[in-house]
Amino acid sequence: MKSWRIKPVRNPTAETEQFRRRVVLAGLGVAAALLVLALGYGHLQILQHAEYATRSEENRIRLEPVIPARGLIFDRNGVLLADNAPAYRLDIVIERVEDLPSLIAELRQRVAISEEELQRFENARKSTRRFQPVPLKLKLDEQEIARLAVDRHRFSGVEVRPYLKRRYPFGELTAHIIGYVGRVDQDDVEAMAARGESRFASLPHIGKTGLERYYESRLRGDVGYQEVETNVENRSLRVLRRHDAQPGESLHLSIDIALQQAMVEAFAGQHGAAVAIDPATGEILGMVSLPSYDPNLFVSGISFVDYRRLGEDVARPLFNRNVLGGFPPGSTLKPFMALSGLRAGLITPESTVFSSGAFRLPNHEREYRDWRPGGHGTVNLLESLAQSVNTYYFELAMKLGIDRISADFERMGFGRPTGIDLRGEVGGVLPSREWKQRRFGQVWFPGETVIAGIGQGYWVVTPLQLAQGTALLADDGMLRRPHLVRSTQAGFGAPRVTLAQPQPLSVVDDPAHLAAVNAGLIATMHGPTGTARQAAAGAWYRMAGKTGTAQRVGRRGTERIDPALLPYHLRHQALFIGYAPVETPTIALAIVVEQGGSGAATAAPVARRIFDAWLGPAPATPPVTAVEDGR
Amino acid sequence: MNTLLRWFSAFVWRWLDKLDLPLLGGLLAIMGISLIVQASVGGELEAVLKQGVRFAVGLMALVALSRLSPSTLRQWTPLTYVGSLALVGLVFVFGSGRSADLWLDLGLFHLQPSELLKLSVPMMLAWFLHQATLPPRWLTLGLSAAIIGLPVGLIILQPDLGTGLLVAASGVFVVFLAGVAWWRIGVFAGLGLAALPIGWQFLMPYQKDRILTFLNPESDPLGAGWNIIQSKIAIGSGGLSGKGWGQGTQARLDFLPEHTTDFVFSVYAEEFGWLGVLLLLGLYFFVAARSLWLATQARDTFGRLLAGALALTFSVYVIVNAGMVAGFLPVVGVPMPLLSYGGTSAVSLLAGFGMVMAAGAHRRTWGG
Repeated sequence: MKSWRIKPVRNPTAETEQFRRRVVLAGLGVAAALLVLALGYGHLQILQHAEYATRSEENRIRLEPVIPARGLIFDRNGVLLADNAPAYRLDIVIERVEDLPSLIAELRQRVAISEEELQRFENARKSTRRFQPVPLKLKLDEQEIARLAVDRHRFSGVEVRPYLKRRYPFGELTAHIIGYVGRVDQDDVEAMAARGESRFASLPHIGKTGLERYYESRLRGDVGYQEVETNVENRSLRVLRRHDAQPGESLHLSIDIALQQAMVEAFAGQHGAAVAIDPATGEILGMVSLPSYDPNLFVSGISFVDYRRLGEDVARPLFNRNVLGGFPPGSTLKPFMALSGLRAGLITPESTVFSSGAFRLPNHEREYRDWRPGGHGTVNLLESLAQSVNTYYFELAMKLGIDRISADFERMGFGRPTGIDLRGEVGGVLPSREWKQRRFGQVWFPGETVIAGIGQGYWVVTPLQLAQGTALLADDGMLRRPHLVRSTQAGFGAPRVTLAQPQPLSVVDDPAHLAAVNAGLIATMHGPTGTARQAAAGAWYRMAGKTGTAQRVGRRGTERIDPALLPYHLRHQALFIGYAPVETPTIALAIVVEQGGSGAATAAPVARRIFDAWLGPAPATPPVTAVEDGR
Repeated sequence: MNTLLRWFSAFVWRWLDKLDLPLLGGLLAIMGISLIVQASVGGELEAVLKQGVRFAVGLMALVALSRLSPSTLRQWTPLTYVGSLALVGLVFVFGSGRSADLWLDLGLFHLQPSELLKLSVPMMLAWFLHQATLPPRWLTLGLSAAIIGLPVGLIILQPDLGTGLLVAASGVFVVFLAGVAWWRIGVFAGLGLAALPIGWQFLMPYQKDRILTFLNPESDPLGAGWNIIQSKIAIGSGGLSGKGWGQGTQARLDFLPEHTTDFVFSVYAEEFGWLGVLLLLGLYFFVAARSLWLATQARDTFGRLLAGALALTFSVYVIVNAGMVAGFLPVVGVPMPLLSYGGTSAVSLLAGFGMVMAAGAHRRTWGG
């Protein structure tokens, strides 16, 4: 064996004896432990049997979650936009029901229960434990509560429970900003479980869209619990222990609800979208997407009928045009194109271009037209903006080249989401060689640069991107992130905590460039040749703006697309961007009106009405740096 | 025909003659009870059948291992140890499932590499001590600590404190049975106590919570505290002879998913009362005692150390789980051997008993 190694000789007998001793010792230890266990169990099962049997059979201890109050949402002046109203719901605890079908039949004699509610009840039942309540009906009115109370003793397992139900007093007005909450469904439960947040599965609501969803973790607070001792009929005898819930944080928005109302009225029934931003901060003062819908319908579970009606509406009221919608910016892009040209030194405020009404690339047949037949003659930068001269920008785009255009516009916030505090924001399309290669697998054609110069072609922007860009023009070339929430507050009386915003970026190097472009925008509104001078006539303040018209035309050759086949929100759109008052701008706007003629005729008047609402009537003394909101 | 029968019975006998019938009997009894209880808890025939299949697989492993001679087992030990370590390492890199549930999906059941360690660590220690000077001195103890410490460290990092402690315990039992001097044990115990505050820092929050809850169950009614309260109610309400099969209030115990298997003993206690508890604890004791006896019958150091350690580890499982569900010990997520629903645990346990039988069967036939 191992005889070549010198080591102490092993003594097998002694070793075995030693082992035996240890085994006996261990065996005795195990026996002792098991004996102690047996005695312990005996204590529980014999000596304390009566107590435990009672607790098990007759007296029950129920652990109930204490639902926190959801955080409120206020506008910038403290007007309540979302609050919680008391409501009553009908719950059933399966474990205490002997004959469920007959119970439900009896309940239906007293309370109206729709097939949908029954279906939802059945679904919820499968994923709820037997001794926890399952909601059957969420909206009991007082008469129904009374009828149930009368026969309460007969319905074991039925509970009428109060809860706080989310309410949106301004309904349609705030639907696309605040969004709505809905019931917690299976997907939500699974997502919560994955994040280790299963305790929130008992909440009555969970944010589904909008700010309610984006700030869900702040708004919902934290669940508490209480241990309740109940008797066989589940009447609470007493609360043994309680750990309070933590109410949700309230949100203070930058939105001004009066302005929001004025914006909707300014559209006068037309469909479209508009964003109003405070250029100095990036705060969103108003944001509308029309048509809208009533979010209160969703809170307790929207009916199939209502949902189908909303979903099938051709005008797509559920679609948030600001965040999800995109369109070609058309002429509203020209101020930014001019900035790009100035920056590259390719143009100066005095340099001129001759517009004959048609533009051609060298050695090409295709003609690109100005909107005015015959052209605008010789124009400089200011006139090119005031009259919206396409030829000026066809030339400028060719000189800049698509690569420089792509790079500059990316700096100005196009082609990517603005980062607003809403989910799902799209980034639009910023045309570039790489993009076209990725998307179509083709190289870039020179003709596409030409039309890119006037915001047509592959361009897709969102109202938010335009508003962000307009704010940039209004505020010394600073790019700020548009946002809806100014501050949060952890309950009444708590201090408000301002949400940190990213540092603004300066994207314009030379203030003189900005001044030149802005001069053109002012001329658009107040100059003798401005496209929107009619809309600005008679105002006591001065405004700056740019009109635009987005048209979809066939891209390949002469193929045209039938407008009737296009999605509704992609048809001819009237556009306008602008800000006021010119001296110290307090509001910057981006407006798109669907199916609305030209920017000047349709969108500019909407902007004027919004400016009027925000800036109010003329003050008695001329404003110096006055800022008045639209009350 | 006759020859066929004789060949068949000889074939069967060859496979079964190394089995220790009393031990096997005890294990079968426990498995039977397990299936009965599972049927009352789960209620789904499919689940019970699955468990039955797992038992069958485990029994096959048991029979196969019982046939190996301890020296064969010993030869394969280092490879097994390194292999299981590597598997755990693999799971670290490729791990699926939640932190304490790192497993590889093998179809019928999930292979938890840490389960393998429950066997390979005592095997490795027994292998090591087989050829070392006994009783072990400091050098031997140091090396033993390394053999234990490496895998246990990996397990605790998963993090799975419960399994880690049990694997460590199985290793410590080997060393204990090898006859380490009492004063040396005292030194280690002292070091361990001193290291306790340091170790506390490294615990995950929920692990700290569990220990604190045990010390004061009132402090966390929402989590583990709730389970214990319900478990005690279930046990206590069982009384002397229990409520009867299928009459328990299992729904109340179905709170935290990872504990549904751990509280099976409470369900059993509720359904079959104190008399049932005495019976089952008695069966467990019988299995442990018989295994210890078989250990003393082993031919070589490796065999008896391994068998003894496995028997003691088995006992610890039982004691810890029974104590945990009754609130005598903190909740550490240890399943009840053979009773709880689950594959790898049952198979590795039965495989371990196969090794115990192997050690006891290949007796010292030529003295010494």
